[in-house]
Amino acid sequence: MKKRWPITILYRAFSSSTTSTTASFPLKHVKKSNFDSALSSLRHHVQAADFVAIDLEMTGITSAPWRDSFEFDRFDVRYLKVKDSAEKFAVIQFGVSPFRWDPLKQSFITHPHNFFIFQRQELPLDGAAYEFLCQTTSMDFLAKYQFDFNACIHEGVSYLSREQEDKALKHVNSTYEDESLDSWHSLKEIRDTHLFNIPDILFAERMKDRLSEWLGGLLRNRDGGSEVQPSFNDSKQQFETIFFKMRPAISLNGFTSHQLLLIQLVVRKHFKDLAYLRVSGENSCSQNVIVYIESESDKKMLMKEVKDEQKIDAEMSIKASIGFRHVIDLLSSEKKLIVGHNCFLDIAHIYSKFFGPLPLTAEEFISSVNKYFPHIIDTKILLNSNSILQQRMKKSSTSLSKAFSVLCPQIALGSKSTHLALQPSVKVEVEVDDIRSSNWNSGVKHEAGYDAFMTGCVFAQACSHLGIDFKQQSSSENLAHNEKLREHVNLLYLSWTNGEIINLSTGNRTSESLASNKRKNHYPKILFECIVIVWGFPSHLKAWDIRECISKVYGPTSVISVYHVDETAVFVQFSRAEMVSKFLDLKGSLDRNNDPISVLHPLAKLLEGGNTCAASYETYKEICSSTVSKVLFADQAKAVGIKWKTKLVESSDKTKEHESLRKVKAVNSDPSCGERTKNKNFDDVSNDSSYSQLSSDEIIDSFYTREAKQI
Amino acid sequence: MVPKFKPSPLRIRSFCTKTVQQNPHHWPIKQITKTNFNESLSEIKNHISSSDFIAVSLQNTGSFSSPWHRVSTFDTPETAYLKAKFAAERFQILQFAICPFKLQASKVIAYPYNFHLFPRDELKMGMPSYSFTCQTSYLTAMAKEGFDFNTCIYDGISYLSEAQESTVKVRMGNPMAVDHATKSSSSPALSVADTVFIERVRSRVKHWKNACTDSDIKTEALVTSLRKIVLGGEQFGSRPSMTIDVCSERQVQLVLKMLEDFSDVLVPLIIPAKGGGTQAVRAVLTSSDEDKDLLKRELQTFEFEQNKRVRGFREVIDLISASQKPLVAHNSLNDFTFIHSKFLAPLPPNMNEFICSLRLAFPQVIDVNYLLKDIGPVKKMTNISATIAYLKNRFFAPIEMEIPNQANENEGKIHGHNVVKICQLFGKLCSILKITPDAIESSDDFLASAINRYANIFYSLPGSSQEPTNEEIRGWTNDKRKVSCEDVVFLWGFRERISAGILKNMLQGSHEVFAEAFNVRMVDRSCAIVVFGKPGLSNTFKNVMNSKAVSGPLREMVSDGLKAAGYETYQRVCSSGLWESALADALDKTLASHNCLSEAAYETKQSEIYLSNELINLAEL
Repeated sequence: MKKRWPITILYRAFSSSTTSTTASFPLKHVKKSNFDSALSSLRHHVQAADFVAIDLEMTGITSAPWRDSFEFDRFDVRYLKVKDSAEKFAVIQFGVSPFRWDPLKQSFITHPHNFFIFQRQELPLDGAAYEFLCQTTSMDFLAKYQFDFNACIHEGVSYLSREQEDKALKHVNSTYEDESLDSWHSLKEIRDTHLFNIPDILFAERMKDRLSEWLGGLLRNRDGGSEVQPSFNDSKQQFETIFFKMRPAISLNGFTSHQLLLIQLVVRKHFKDLAYLRVSGENSCSQNVIVYIESESDKKMLMKEVKDEQKIDAEMSIKASIGFRHVIDLLSSEKKLIVGHNCFLDIAHIYSKFFGPLPLTAEEFISSVNKYFPHIIDTKILLNSNSILQQRMKKSSTSLSKAFSVLCPQIALGSKSTHLALQPSVKVEVEVDDIRSSNWNSGVKHEAGYDAFMTGCVFAQACSHLGIDFKQQSSSENLAHNEKLREHVNLLYLSWTNGEIINLSTGNRTSESLASNKRKNHYPKILFECIVIVWGFPSHLKAWDIRECISKVYGPTSVISVYHVDETAVFVQFSRAEMVSKFLDLKGSLDRNNDPISVLHPLAKLLEGGNTCAASYETYKEICSSTVSKVLFADQAKAVGIKWKTKLVESSDKTKEHESLRKVKAVNSDPSCGERTKNKNFDDVSNDSSYSQLSSDEIIDSFYTREAKQI
Repeated sequence: MVPKFKPSPLRIRSFCTKTVQQNPHHWPIKQITKTNFNESLSEIKNHISSSDFIAVSLQNTGSFSSPWHRVSTFDTPETAYLKAKFAAERFQILQFAICPFKLQASKVIAYPYNFHLFPRDELKMGMPSYSFTCQTSYLTAMAKEGFDFNTCIYDGISYLSEAQESTVKVRMGNPMAVDHATKSSSSPALSVADTVFIERVRSRVKHWKNACTDSDIKTEALVTSLRKIVLGGEQFGSRPSMTIDVCSERQVQLVLKMLEDFSDVLVPLIIPAKGGGTQAVRAVLTSSDEDKDLLKRELQTFEFEQNKRVRGFREVIDLISASQKPLVAHNSLNDFTFIHSKFLAPLPPNMNEFICSLRLAFPQVIDVNYLLKDIGPVKKMTNISATIAYLKNRFFAPIEMEIPNQANENEGKIHGHNVVKICQLFGKLCSILKITPDAIESSDDFLASAINRYANIFYSLPGSSQEPTNEEIRGWTNDKRKVSCEDVVFLWGFRERISAGILKNMLQGSHEVFAEAFNVRMVDRSCAIVVFGKPGLSNTFKNVMNSKAVSGPLREMVSDGLKAAGYETYQRVCSSGLWESALADALDKTLASHNCLSEAAYETKQSEIYLSNELINLAEL
């Protein structure tokens, strides 16, 4: 993903070389202490904004190396990987930068906010403890950029997702429905178990005396008697007479929990006109009181009063725990254009952290996202899909920092750079707590607030290159509806690796067309039904060994490519779909037989050790959907509970269809001629030798990329 | 020794003044990060070798994710281990405090160190851990104590486990000097192909050697460098070298044999391949015999330095292990599963193997909780400070803490107090149990045998300092019977937030098996365990639940979703790693997956669990 790869990051270093001419007052950092005030000011800024740029910092990207994004990711698998990442890792920083066009100044004004967020378990929600995963390399990377973990953990703003809030409110409702019942019950148990030993009985007697004394005094008082009971002086601290809900009451202090239970028992047993209550007092510490009640109906009233109050308190504390989600709610309710850079993962994080659990399929996810955020624009797609912008970018990398320095040099390098004057540029003025600057630079830090700012600047500049004239743009019109932007709105990279783009408003998927010249797109089109995943093979076997091994059985052109998922697993792409089931059938029978013939079989090399498993692409998807994340794929498969060695493909209608299609094409060739002749008729493979040449290059290529990642 | 129950007032007072001095917040505990790690090592080494015991204490990023993941009284040693294993594999150690200490009568001389760890991927190989889990509550608690996460992440010491180190060595592909044992293993019979291969290599080597030695005489620099390119010459450090690619181990032997002919100036090195085996042989040209020795020494120091860098904090673990000193811990199962998984090797699948493997590295592990048990029935003592306070009230066993360390003054916050408290508690317990002789020097053997009685027992009561749930446990801690796993049934599928009492009431009238004495306890919100007092009833109950004959109120409950399973299902949940957040879900999943397999596959073990305290005795296993 963007900005996490070291190469991308190196570009960030540009800001360190900035000349002193740029203003460098710090970003607006928002923590627990200044959250409320920041929120209210942000509300105004967002309401007035033309668009809002966002950026997130997380504790990691992939929970296991094999969950990384590959060329061999089908869109549903890609979504599962993004889902896994968003569910496991935490967001620790959230940058929000609302941009507003100021017609008087002929410039954008932005207020970059850098929120430190950290979800604390503030409510007594049942079940699992809050936890998140940290990817060691990501943490180390953040540390390199001097990320302030202390600010995040000590002072980060907490939050509740909408789902968590609903759950908590329901919990409160049900608690206050059956509380009376439960407390009665627990008392019954006390009666059964305690009061057997002498000290307890004596203590209970003493309490009984004291309470009746107090009660007596109280009644005398009401009849106009004297004021103070001297006998109570010694225990004044323990028995403090107070007024509770307009009723006389005793506040109990300094008793042990066992003593309190005994007192409670005494009250229930011997005093009809006293009620024992445990209420949460100030500072959330609970207070034990004994209240004088006039009658049974008075008691009910009191109970209801207390219960309602406690319920309201509980609801208040839930509302107070919403925290940072207010910002997301604000962005969602204002329906502003949201701008991110390669932000599919960011959006998934926002969804899972602030709305609810991510849906199981990409389709559902997209339609719900569209409901919450009707207009999203991704600057990375924008830069890659428009030829004017590509030209502007001079075909350089579209990483955020690179785009920023190419498109907005006046901001990135300071306005002193003379040669830039020729280029028409959109002015951006930064405002942080009443300090303004038109050539602002926050410093070197790799922070969400600054990244959001950069994203916004890139977007503003890109709009200008696209011919959007902000001067003519009326403030009431939503930028997202601008006809020059319309074709770019709501497109996100599902996967940057294979250029698959998804349209959030329609759910359509397209492959990137314009930018294809940029990527080293020498991969043949991937047919997922032709893919077998093999894992658990002997560790010394490499891609070419496996290819050779399978080619011995099915012919030299049978295998299009072998791609390492990780050191324990490979994808084998066959030239035809039916070979998948053939291969799995053969492997299955070899697994079962242990006779000398199967030992001599060419595949025996692959099956050596007896742990080699194979299955179709669907099994790979299934394994990806698991919540478990073992580092090695082979371990993962085991953890998911796969006990078989070979999963045969049920001859589904789809494969049959393909087969019949091929049979028509292969009609001229004699089936007994073997694989080679058949292959020649297969439409994808026009020239055998060149094809195999290409694929072997690719094997090596893919292998080296894996290796490079490991090193 | 001080009399236990008749303390003289005077002595107490004098002791009290000492307590003021040893205010835990002023204990000078040396804080070690990457910056001062290397310089502290030798000092630590000395303290370890001169100590009697070493206390250890860990600060982790979490312990259990769901209530039922916590090791509890209904766990057998095996399930307790599996729970601890699950935690150790996911969470991370951020602080590792060690304290070598000496025990002299009523005096503890301690040298506490607190190491800040972070599993930084120093070698870019996804090690020591690709990722780790953090529990927010743990981080928040650490934040409250003033823990500096920035120091930890920026400047924490990394490490590799023993197992990781050996894989790394292969993967790093460092050239290895050839020892003579492997070199002259056998002189293989030469085939024609071998001879051709050898001669080809020999002539290459000869040409290259001549080119290198001649170059300083008359040829120009350009020609030299061109020649080097053509001949495949490289530099190894400051010396010229040449790489000879090999395809098999046989060729390695052949090349080495051939290089013996040049042994006056050439030193052969083996370049390991990434997947094991040999990738190439490298010949390094030396100018003289002295230079050759120098090279060999250089290689050794290089390897030594690199190993040190790779091992990081494990250096300390190795020192402790090498010292063979008894280790003192609180909640040892938890700590030592972490230690094993982070510093030794991945955790084995069962308790027995774990204990065997651990014993190889640490022969004696003493859990203070177990010593505590010898004093008498102690109620839930999960917190060290509370335990110390409890002992202070009940026994007179003053322990003087002497910490000669000079803490680094510039450190803001001092962490790792627990390890000193463990020393203190251990000292107290030894004094109360009269393990400590008056003069320790005179009778080392006595101490050793006395301590041995307590060693290697993994006390598995939950030891984390979570909020105590008194009411729930109370009914059980008084009850110290052993309960056979056979008599335990897990129940789930009832309304959430039901209390054990209500559930018991509901069950009481539902079937005749509940006419006899039985007990109910909630495991988590979704699941309860029922313990039958009379043997055999649990089976009757399980059979009734699964038969059509179920009738009356029980049928009503079953129709509402009530399910039951025996202890073996729970064991299967733990061993299959289905750590769902609700135990009910995990049990359901296990039953579902189990139905596919044959019923007889799993044998019910006749293990016994204790309702109160359970012990896992390592010596008996």
